[in-house]
Amino acid sequence: MAAHSASTTAGHEELNYLNWKTGLWSWLSSTDHKRICFLYLYAIMIFFVLGGIAALIMRTELATAGPTIPSIVKDSHTYNVFFTMHGVFMIFLFVVPGIPATLGNFLIPLMIGAKDVAFPRLNLFSWYLYVLGALIGAIAMMNPVDTGWTFYAPYSTTTDTNVSLMVFAAFVLGFSSILTGLNFIVTIHQLRAPGLTWMRLPVFIWASYATAIIQTVATPVVGMTLLLVIAERVFGAGIFDPTKGGDPVLMEHLFWFYSHPVVYIMVLPAFGVVGEIIPVFSRKPLFGYQMVVLSSIAIAAVGFIVWAHHMFVAGISDFSAKFFSIVTFLVAVPTAIKVFNWVSTMYKGSISFKTPMLYAMGFVFLFMVAGTTGIYLAMLGVDVYYHDTYFVVAHFHYTIQGGAVIGLIAALHMWFPKMSGKMYSETVSKTAFAVLFIGFNLTFIPQFILGMDGMPRRYYDYPVQYQTLHTLSTIGAFMNGFGYMLALLNLAWTAKFGKVKAPRNPYNSKGLEWQTASPPPHENFDTVPVVTEDPYNYGVPRHA
Amino acid sequence: MLGLLGEQGSDFAHKVDYAHDVVTIISVVCTVLIVGVMLYFAVIYRQRDGKDHETPHIHGNNALEVIWTTFPTLVCIWVAWLGYDSFVDMRTAPEGAMEINVTARKWAWDFQYKNGKRTTGELVVPVDEPVKLIMRSQDVLHSFFVPVMRTKMDVIPGRYTYEWFRPIKTGDFQVFCTEYCGNDHSRMRARLKVLPKAEFERWLADNSEAMKLASMKPSDRGKEIYAGKCVACHSLDGSPRVGPSWLKLFGKKGELSDGKTYVADENYIRESILNPAAKVVKGYPPQGMPSFQGQLSDEDITGVIEFIKTIDGTTKVEVSAPTPKKSAAAAGATPAERGKALVNDAGNLCSTCHSIDGSKLVGPSFKGIWGRKEKMSDGTEVTVDADYIKESIYKPQAKIVEGYGPVMPAMYEGKLSEQDINDIIEYLKTLS
Repeated sequence: MAAHSASTTAGHEELNYLNWKTGLWSWLSSTDHKRICFLYLYAIMIFFVLGGIAALIMRTELATAGPTIPSIVKDSHTYNVFFTMHGVFMIFLFVVPGIPATLGNFLIPLMIGAKDVAFPRLNLFSWYLYVLGALIGAIAMMNPVDTGWTFYAPYSTTTDTNVSLMVFAAFVLGFSSILTGLNFIVTIHQLRAPGLTWMRLPVFIWASYATAIIQTVATPVVGMTLLLVIAERVFGAGIFDPTKGGDPVLMEHLFWFYSHPVVYIMVLPAFGVVGEIIPVFSRKPLFGYQMVVLSSIAIAAVGFIVWAHHMFVAGISDFSAKFFSIVTFLVAVPTAIKVFNWVSTMYKGSISFKTPMLYAMGFVFLFMVAGTTGIYLAMLGVDVYYHDTYFVVAHFHYTIQGGAVIGLIAALHMWFPKMSGKMYSETVSKTAFAVLFIGFNLTFIPQFILGMDGMPRRYYDYPVQYQTLHTLSTIGAFMNGFGYMLALLNLAWTAKFGKVKAPRNPYNSKGLEWQTASPPPHENFDTVPVVTEDPYNYGVPRHA
Repeated sequence: MLGLLGEQGSDFAHKVDYAHDVVTIISVVCTVLIVGVMLYFAVIYRQRDGKDHETPHIHGNNALEVIWTTFPTLVCIWVAWLGYDSFVDMRTAPEGAMEINVTARKWAWDFQYKNGKRTTGELVVPVDEPVKLIMRSQDVLHSFFVPVMRTKMDVIPGRYTYEWFRPIKTGDFQVFCTEYCGNDHSRMRARLKVLPKAEFERWLADNSEAMKLASMKPSDRGKEIYAGKCVACHSLDGSPRVGPSWLKLFGKKGELSDGKTYVADENYIRESILNPAAKVVKGYPPQGMPSFQGQLSDEDITGVIEFIKTIDGTTKVEVSAPTPKKSAAAAGATPAERGKALVNDAGNLCSTCHSIDGSKLVGPSFKGIWGRKEKMSDGTEVTVDADYIKESIYKPQAKIVEGYGPVMPAMYEGKLSEQDINDIIEYLKTLS
């Protein structure tokens, strides 16, 4: 994507978005989308660490049958609190805002040649809503919630833990998500540079666009559901309470109507990231660009009508179960198309194995596992067996961690030179990748086997026959955690102390975001860029 | 074929496993192919010497897109059908299936049969007969999962759900609760016992005990339970045994091992029965009592509490003699079978504290015990032989295995004969 505005004077290189204003308040009051990316990044990383610690405590407790670490996990209630904390922190406070609020914020204006998002102040307000939601959630943990992140009634409406407050936190976080989505939709519609037509948009923009639509359409439903849970607890409204004519299964429907599409909020941006990385490091145009774009839109659309596949044994009618099974298979096809196109992009390429490319290739493997194990769960008769077992736990960790989190870490490595203006150590980052990749598989492959053996999820204690696999999984979890620590500390250390300055375009990418300085100036481009080519225009044209 | 899901216990299990096998083979082949192609491209098209080489400008290929859209679609239709087909089987209970009412509550399963017989924590069914479970919940969501039958269904307050299966083999199988339901979710298990038809009929007809219990005064019911399960460790006359005496227990205040105080009211006694480790009276071993979660119904616990209220120092209980001798089956049985009956007999209480699956309860597991080398708390090592077992039954405090407390009651001398013990040893030898 060649830009006419590539030239800048040396004087402008000195002043960039990181140093044009200084002081804490200049960050907390900044409406610059690139600074807001960092505000989110710091905030979500706190919850990634906390959620990760909760996971490691759970895994340690599960390393042996019976109590393992009674000094920390003193009883089953404490364990239930830890898995709730892990789920709530990881989903609502880390993965959902994960790629969209950080990389989405940083990249969308740069990739479309804009100065900022359409509503910069609304963007900052969204971050404050996130912080408010996070604080309410932290207060709720004073009497920690033990419902699981799913808040199923009537357990959630009858337990005496702080459910109302926690649910209200999720409600506030939902508004942060809605406003961010709205902002991105308007930005992509209105602020594209001259010549940047829809079919020239990078696939990351398409993925972000599809994500933003889900955020604005689905999130209000979970907001409403969570308010109903509060109404039930505080006023005894009776919507989910069978003794008052209510129905607990209704809560499940409303919950999954949001929480299934939310999986695509998490993973579509990661698809976009992989679609950006592979062409650059293969020096090839993205294979089947139009199909990749269409499949993102298809996944977002079909994602709205598959929610009850989480409920095949929840007491829905057999007819509903059959309907939702069949439509669920419609998600499999566009997902497969994406994988085929990514791999084909590498055909006859000139492939270099920088860290982002390793993550992208690791992603393809992890997502193949996530996708194919998803097929088992879409099949009615097989899902009846697997529902609420460790097989499901392993499957959605391959999707959400193997997909969304690996996508986020890949993206942080890919655009780190642009964000920080520095180059990180490839040796350290590749080692970290190897450790976390092996650790991740060692954690969750035993969990697939546990699921095959019928081990139910959310169990504080288990029959001794499952112990060996649990021990293996625990070893893997610590390795996985160590890998993440190494990868993120490498980036953090480089950002602060790194000596190697990043050039404007270290990967020789055609992307618009690489045509400005590293790090970019406050308003991104000195002159408005004009786009004259299709994206990923690598290689020698056949009819040159 | 692949046998990934383990033992098959119901007639539709093979259909589920077939669908599972098909999708496993497809998944493994596709993953290996795609990742293989990716790695192949990575190797042969890698940059050499860190320099870019010329690449062709390929945008895509419509024929390929059509192929890899159509192929996954066809595969999806096929496996969707396999899943659908097995699901229809497991949702269609045959006419005339034997119906059993199931009630879920925090944290136990209650079963009631057509003739009024009730059980808690144990579902007994005949082999080769279709069984339909009509399920409801008293409180929150639960889910009834029998892995070996390949079926599962949520149990919901305010409505009925059902599941069915036709067992194809006899044996004892695990039942799990698989919908999160609070503190003791992971303890909310039950046992599925599949019996030969004749044996099931005998079991079902023998409803006398349950009927007797149902029409009893609560305190008499509690007394029965005391005689069956509690007497070994709790006296009625104030003398300490493994646990505190029940004499004038109700309403008593005292000190716990962590220095806090307790008042023995209804909720304290209930908690002590279901979760004994939560509050341990000062001076007693912390792991001395097993949980009776899932073994006693709410009515049973109420009965025990009412019985405790009546204990005034004159209360006497006749301890039931071991029952297996009365059993017709025991007469012609092999020594190992008689030993098994003795171990499982409610009056002997062995299985309360010793598992047969290797899990650690109050005492060491019986699994693989014969010939095992055990380290004792005084540091010596003992090989488990006939003399050791005999000594451990008659004089439990003589040798204590390291890691366990000296809590086994010395109540078997005079209750179990030498012949009984030899039978038990024969049974233990089979538990390798």
